[in-house]
Amino acid sequence: MGKFGKEFAKGLIISNPVLVLALGLCPTLAITTSIDNALGMTLVVLVVLVGSSTIIAAIRNFVPSIMRIPIFIVIIASLVTVMDLIFQANFPDLHVSLGIFLPLVVVNCIILARAEVFASKNPILHSIADALGITVGFMLALLMISSIRQILGTGSLSVFGFDFFTLPVLGKYPIAMFILPPGAFLIIGLLMALFRWRGVMKSE
Amino acid sequence: MNELIAIFIGMALINNIILVQFLGLCPFFGVSKKLGSAVSMGMAVTFVMSIASVTTWLINHYILIPFDIEYMYIVIFILVIATLVQIIEMFIKRTNLALYNAFGIYLPLITTNCAVLGITLIILYQEYSFLGSVVAPLGGGLGFTLVLAMMSGIRERLELANAPKAMKGLPIAFIIAVLLALAFSGFGGMI
Amino acid sequence: MPAKEALKKAFPVILLTVVVAVSVTLLTFTDRLTREKIEYQREQKIHRMLFEIFPNMSQYTLENDIYTIYSDGAKVGYAFIAIGKGYGGKIDILVGLEDETMIKGINIVSHLETPGLGARITESPFTNQFTGLDIANVALRQDGGQIDAITGATRSSRAVIEAVRTTAMEKVKLLKDSEEGE
Repeated sequence: MGKFGKEFAKGLIISNPVLVLALGLCPTLAITTSIDNALGMTLVVLVVLVGSSTIIAAIRNFVPSIMRIPIFIVIIASLVTVMDLIFQANFPDLHVSLGIFLPLVVVNCIILARAEVFASKNPILHSIADALGITVGFMLALLMISSIRQILGTGSLSVFGFDFFTLPVLGKYPIAMFILPPGAFLIIGLLMALFRWRGVMKSE
Repeated sequence: MNELIAIFIGMALINNIILVQFLGLCPFFGVSKKLGSAVSMGMAVTFVMSIASVTTWLINHYILIPFDIEYMYIVIFILVIATLVQIIEMFIKRTNLALYNAFGIYLPLITTNCAVLGITLIILYQEYSFLGSVVAPLGGGLGFTLVLAMMSGIRERLELANAPKAMKGLPIAFIIAVLLALAFSGFGGMI
Repeated sequence: MPAKEALKKAFPVILLTVVVAVSVTLLTFTDRLTREKIEYQREQKIHRMLFEIFPNMSQYTLENDIYTIYSDGAKVGYAFIAIGKGYGGKIDILVGLEDETMIKGINIVSHLETPGLGARITESPFTNQFTGLDIANVALRQDGGQIDAITGATRSSRAVIEAVRTTAMEKVKLLKDSEEGE
């Protein structure tokens, strides 16, 4: 259980996939315009990453090294398609707002990197722990970025139609730049610097 | 004709593939430190994007839609791109060694470059015509190369800048991207 | 043993074939399971939106992409989908007509505009402005019409307005032509 916990924990902060390793930047920047999107994307990545890690760890001893990448891609793409169809059937609005970034999970570096680096070399249980840790780290990063962008950019916080609060001045005059592309780059850049700064402090 | 010009300008400047659509960020932040390699990378990506867009458009309209298997698009598209990249790499290596040395080394990276799959998906979702699928990757590729080249020029000088320790490298590159994205949002009024 | 050698060489190909076969089966199966629901969701959405525009609707028919709305057997209006080109991409707009000149209401079916900005085209302060307008008068205030654009999202607003006006004109012409033919 100790190993399981360790594999899980490392993905959260120390090697946070987005803010420390800078993986999977495209979806992170594009879909963090709202918390709904961030949660939807996390769900897709959760299923695809845990699914692909389990399958790849299970078949890791049969796959010849030259066939690794094509087989991984087929497995990942199939899982993404399943999620694409499930979202279309059950969460049509979320499916529309994630747009091309749902199918683009196929080329998300986080997933292929975990398949290559971890799942193809480790037993199933460890691979699942690793996948879960990475997903939670991914979710933390997405939630941080999307809540900052949503609060500053729209002046209010609402998740799936539930309104939590509307700020007094910002609610009327939101800083739209935070919802727009420049805001995405700004927030993620500052958060990365924050994570580094914490790291710098510890190492010195 | 107007429609095609709008697609081209839209892809290159207004909805710039890197700064607005957020596609192809890995090469943007990863390898772009030398102007020469940024331009070669941009050319390689444009080349693969063009071939991939036309191929996937044809596959979609003549195989997926007639056989009612449109739900297979993700698997098919990514396999087509992976195969294309392999074929192009082999072809260039055998026929034109100078070209291979110029951008061949970037080709294997392109399979997982989301700009390529991204542009084929944009063409699919936006229901572009065949000519649209020819023009879109050219515009997208131009926008990609342009921004990659600008970024590499800035980062070459940035190496010497005295940024706070925690901001060095990637974080400061993101701040540069903020400024570029703000500048590019000025193109919004063009059409 | 040549047979074993051949098998060893062919193994990667066989493996890939098996993986692809399993994947195709899985996807076909998922498609079967979800297809009906996806269709149903789409119909439900249109139905709900038509109902929002025509609260007294009892049934509707679809012919040549035009919905004809009935209330207790009497014809109360028409509706159709207009497609606009917004900032982020396609905008699908459901437009309801009271008769052949007046707009009963509009509803945004799907869009890819920026959340918090262009996406506000879906909100009622914007969509309600269309109600009761003559088709020919559908234009932004700065273009000489009566509709206020959303602050900071003139392009998305204009995309909706242009699509509503041009498509409405086309469809009304179609309606008139078909009536003359009858």
